[in-house]
Amino acid sequence: MLKLTNLGKVYEGKVAYRALTDINLEIDKGEFVAIMGPSGSGKTTLLNIISTNDSPTTGNLEIEGKNPHRLKKNALAKFRRNELGFIFQDFNLLHTLTVEENIVLPLTLDGASVNEMKEKAGKMAESLGITPIMNKRTYEISGGQAQRVAIARAMIHQPKLLLADEPTGNLDSKAAKDVMNMLGNINKKEETSLLMVTHDPQAASYSDRVIFIRDGKLHSEIHRGESRQAFFQKIIDMLSLMGGNDHDFSSVRI
Amino acid sequence: MTFRQFAFNNVLRNKRLYIAYFLSSMFTVMVFFTFAIFAFHPAFSGGDINRNIIFGMAVAGGIIYVFSFFFVLYSMSSFLQSRKKEFGLLIMMGASDRQIRLMVFLENILIGFCATVGGILGGLIFAKFILLIAENVLIIEESLHFYFPAMAIAVTFGSFLVLFFLISIFVSFILRTNKLTDLIKGDKKSKGEPKASVFLSIIAAILLIAGYVTAVLVKGIFVVYAMIPVILVVVIGTYLLFTQLSVFIIRLLKKNKSIFWKKTNMLLFSDLSFRMKDNARTFFLVAIISTVAFSAIGSLYGFQSILTKDVKNSTLYDVTYSPWGDDTKEVIQQDIQKINAILEEDNIEAVSETMDEEIFNISEQISSVQIVKASDYNRFAALTGKEELHPAEMEAIVVGQSEAILTEDTKVDEMMMQEEIQIRDGREIIPSSIIQSAVLDIYNPYYVVNDSIYGQLGEPVRSDVSAVWAAKDAQEEQIIEVGRKLNEQLEHKAYSIDYSIYEINKTFGPILFIGLFIGIVFFVSAGSFLYFRLFTDLDEEKRKFKAIAKIGLTQKELKKVVNRQVALLFFSPIVVALVHGAVALTALSHLFNYNLTTESALVLGSFTVIQVIYFLIVRFIYVRQVRRTIL
Ligand SMILES: Nc1ncnc2c1ncn2[C@@H]1O[C@H](COP(=O)(O)OP(=O)(O)OP(=O)(O)O)[C@@H](O)[C@H]1O
Ligand SMILES: [Mg+2]
Repeated sequence: MLKLTNLGKVYEGKVAYRALTDINLEIDKGEFVAIMGPSGSGKTTLLNIISTNDSPTTGNLEIEGKNPHRLKKNALAKFRRNELGFIFQDFNLLHTLTVEENIVLPLTLDGASVNEMKEKAGKMAESLGITPIMNKRTYEISGGQAQRVAIARAMIHQPKLLLADEPTGNLDSKAAKDVMNMLGNINKKEETSLLMVTHDPQAASYSDRVIFIRDGKLHSEIHRGESRQAFFQKIIDMLSLMGGNDHDFSSVRI
Repeated sequence: MTFRQFAFNNVLRNKRLYIAYFLSSMFTVMVFFTFAIFAFHPAFSGGDINRNIIFGMAVAGGIIYVFSFFFVLYSMSSFLQSRKKEFGLLIMMGASDRQIRLMVFLENILIGFCATVGGILGGLIFAKFILLIAENVLIIEESLHFYFPAMAIAVTFGSFLVLFFLISIFVSFILRTNKLTDLIKGDKKSKGEPKASVFLSIIAAILLIAGYVTAVLVKGIFVVYAMIPVILVVVIGTYLLFTQLSVFIIRLLKKNKSIFWKKTNMLLFSDLSFRMKDNARTFFLVAIISTVAFSAIGSLYGFQSILTKDVKNSTLYDVTYSPWGDDTKEVIQQDIQKINAILEEDNIEAVSETMDEEIFNISEQISSVQIVKASDYNRFAALTGKEELHPAEMEAIVVGQSEAILTEDTKVDEMMMQEEIQIRDGREIIPSSIIQSAVLDIYNPYYVVNDSIYGQLGEPVRSDVSAVWAAKDAQEEQIIEVGRKLNEQLEHKAYSIDYSIYEINKTFGPILFIGLFIGIVFFVSAGSFLYFRLFTDLDEEKRKFKAIAKIGLTQKELKKVVNRQVALLFFSPIVVALVHGAVALTALSHLFNYNLTTESALVLGSFTVIQVIYFLIVRFIYVRQVRRTIL
C-alpha cells in the first residue's frame, strides 16, 4: 500500500536543517500504524511528505505502486481528494463555513449529490457525536469538537489511506477512546490504511504497530500482540527506554 | 525591547498589510490633489468660464473629499480588523489600552503624513500627464499650462492632515469598544455573517424601481424638478441594494443546498456572504462614484453633440446671409458684395442664390407665416441637390420644422395643415402635406405654393431678403477662416456654419475636458477602491486556499473560484453604475427632447471596455499571487 525507501528531507533556510534521514517504511493495505517520537523529531514532516503536501529531498515514496510526487498538479489534487484523507495538527477548517459545510467540502468539489452528502455527513456526525453542532461556525466550537469535525471531513469520502496528526491531541480520555474506537472500526470495516502520529500511548495502543522516530531517524518498532493492555505496556516501556520521561509525550499539543 | 521598538518592528514585519493601507491612502490623496490642481488652475479662475462650472467643480471637490474620508476610514477599519488578534495578544500580555491607542494613533499619523506627501508628489506627475493629453486631444486655445499649484498643495495637505487626524481619533474609539475575547478570536470571527432584513430588501427594490421609472417617464422640464428626489431615492436604494438586498439574495442561495453545495460554489458564496458587509460599503461607494463619472461625461458629451448637431442641421449652406429688417437695398447689395469678396479672397468658388422672403398673415392663429414660391424653393434645392417641390395650383405644402430644432411644442406645422389660405379672388389654397426639409434657412414652418398663384396672395406684412452660398470643394479650414472674417465684418448678419461649430467646440473644449477629467478621476478612484478591497483580503484568501489545497484543489477549480470572485467584485458595482448612468442619460435626453442613444452607448461602452481590461489585469496579478502561495 505505502512504501517509503531511503526517504530524506532537508529544510532549506538560513541554516539548512535535516529533518528526516533515510526512512524506510512499508504499510500494508488495511494496516493501522502509529508513529511516536519526541517533539521536533520529524513526525509531522514525514506525514506531510506522505500526504504529498511537501516533497522529499531524497528517496522514493509509493502509494499503491505509484509515486504521487510524479503526478501532474491537477492529477495530484484529484489524487489527494479521492485517495487520501487528512487530519491536520492545526485542523485546517475554514472559518467561513459551518461545521457541516466543512465536512462535506471534499464531496462538493467532486460534485456529489446533495442528498448523498447530507446522509454521509449525518452518519459521520452521529458516530463522532457532533450532530448538535452541525450548524455552528468554527469559532463557536471547542478545540476537541474542531478535532472531531476535522476527522469527519477526513473520512467522509472513505479514503484508502487516512493520515492523522495527533487526532486525539485535544480530547479528554473518554472522547479520545471514542475517536480511537471509531478510527479502529473504520480501519477494520473499510479496510482503510491508517497512519497516525500521536504522543498518547493509550491512543497508540489501538494500532497494529507502533514506529518510533528520533532525530529524524527510525528508532524502532513494536507490534501488537494479542492484548491491547500488554501492547500499551510495551509502548510505555519503549518510550522510557528512548529517554526523557513519558510525560513529555502525553503533553497536549496543538 | 521598548514599546516603541516593538511598534516599529511590528510595522516592518507586517509590511504587506501596511503597504496596502498606505497605498490606498496615498492614492486617495493623489486623486484629490490632481483634482485640486485643476480646480485652482488660473485658467479657470479667470472670468472666461461660467459660474456654473466653478460651482460644479466645488461640488465635485466636495464629493471627492467625502468619499476620500469614507474610503480611508474603510481601508483603515479593514486594516485594523486584520490586526485585532495582535491587539488582543498585546492586551493579554499587559499592554495598557492607552499604549495600544497611542501606538495605533502614531502609526496612523505617520502613515497619513507619508501618504499625503506621496500623494501630492504622485498627483503632480499625474496632472502633468493629463495636461499633456489634454493639449493634444482637445481644442483648448488658452492652453491649460502646467503651473506650480501652491494653493492646491496647501488645500490638499491641510484637508488630509485633518482627515487622518480625525480618523486616528475615531480608530482609538473603535478599539475601546471591543471586548478582549473578541479581539483574540480576531480575524477568525472578525465580521460575523451579516444579516439582511426582508423589509429593507423589499424597500431597496421598491426605491430603485420607483427611481428608475420616474427618471425614465418624466419628460421635458419636469426632469429638472424630479432630479433631486430621484437622485436621493436611487442613492438610498443603491445603499440598501448592496447592504441588504444582495446579502439577502446570497443567503437565499446559501440556503438552497443544491446550489450552494455544488462544486466550488461553496467556496465562492461562503466568502462572499462573509465579506459582504465590507464589500457592500465599497460597492456602494464605487457604484455611486462611477455613476457620477458616467453621467458627467455622458451629459457633457451629449450637450456638445446636441449643440453641434443643432447648428449643423440648421442649414445646408456654407455661408448664409440675412440682413436686419431696416437695412436698405443698398446696404444689402454692399453686404452681398462684401461676402463675395471675402470668398474670393480665400479662393473659394461658391454658388449663390438670393430670394425675397415674404411674411403673410393668414388667420388669427397663424399671424405671421412665410409663403414661398415653388420656383424659389427649387432654385435653392438645386444648389445642394435636394428634391424639388411642385405643388398644384390650389395646393400648399407645409415644410415642417427640421428635427434639429428643439421646442416644447411641435404642433405649429400641424396647425398650419388645418388652415386654408384665402387668395384675392376668394378661392382657397388647401395644404396637402407636411414634409421635412432643410433646403431653406428658415426657422419656423412655412408654405410652398405654386408660382402662378403666388401673385394673388395679398399684401405681405413684412418682407426680407436672404442669401446663401454653397462652396465647391473647399477645405473646412478655409470656410472657418471665411467665417471668422464674416464674423468680424458682418456680425450677426452673415455667418458660416463651420465657423459656428468651431466656436462651439472652442468654448466647449475646456468644459468637456474638465468633465472628462472629473469623470476619469472618479472612475480611476473607483477602480482603485476595488483593487485595494481585493488586496486587503489577499492574505486571508491565501490562507484559505492553502488549506483547501491540502485537501486537493485542482488549478482549474482554483482559477474558477478566483475568477468568479474577482469578477463579482469588479462588475457588480459597475453594472449597477451602468444602469444608473443609462437611466440618467435617458432622463437627460428627455429633458432636451433629443435622442442621445449613440452618445450614451459610446460613453457607457468605453467605460465597460476599460473596466474589462482592468479586470483582466487585476485577475492576472491576483491569480498569480494566490497560486504562488499554494505551490
Ligand atoms: N518549514 C520548516 N522549515 C524549517 N524547519 C522546519 C520546518 N518545519 C519543521 N522544521 C523543523 O523540523 C523538525 C521536525 O519538525 P516536525 O514538525 O516534523 O516535528 P514533530 O515531530 O511533528 O513535532 P511535534 O511533536 O512537536 O509536532 C523540527 O526541528 C522543526 O524545527
Ligand atoms: Mg507535529
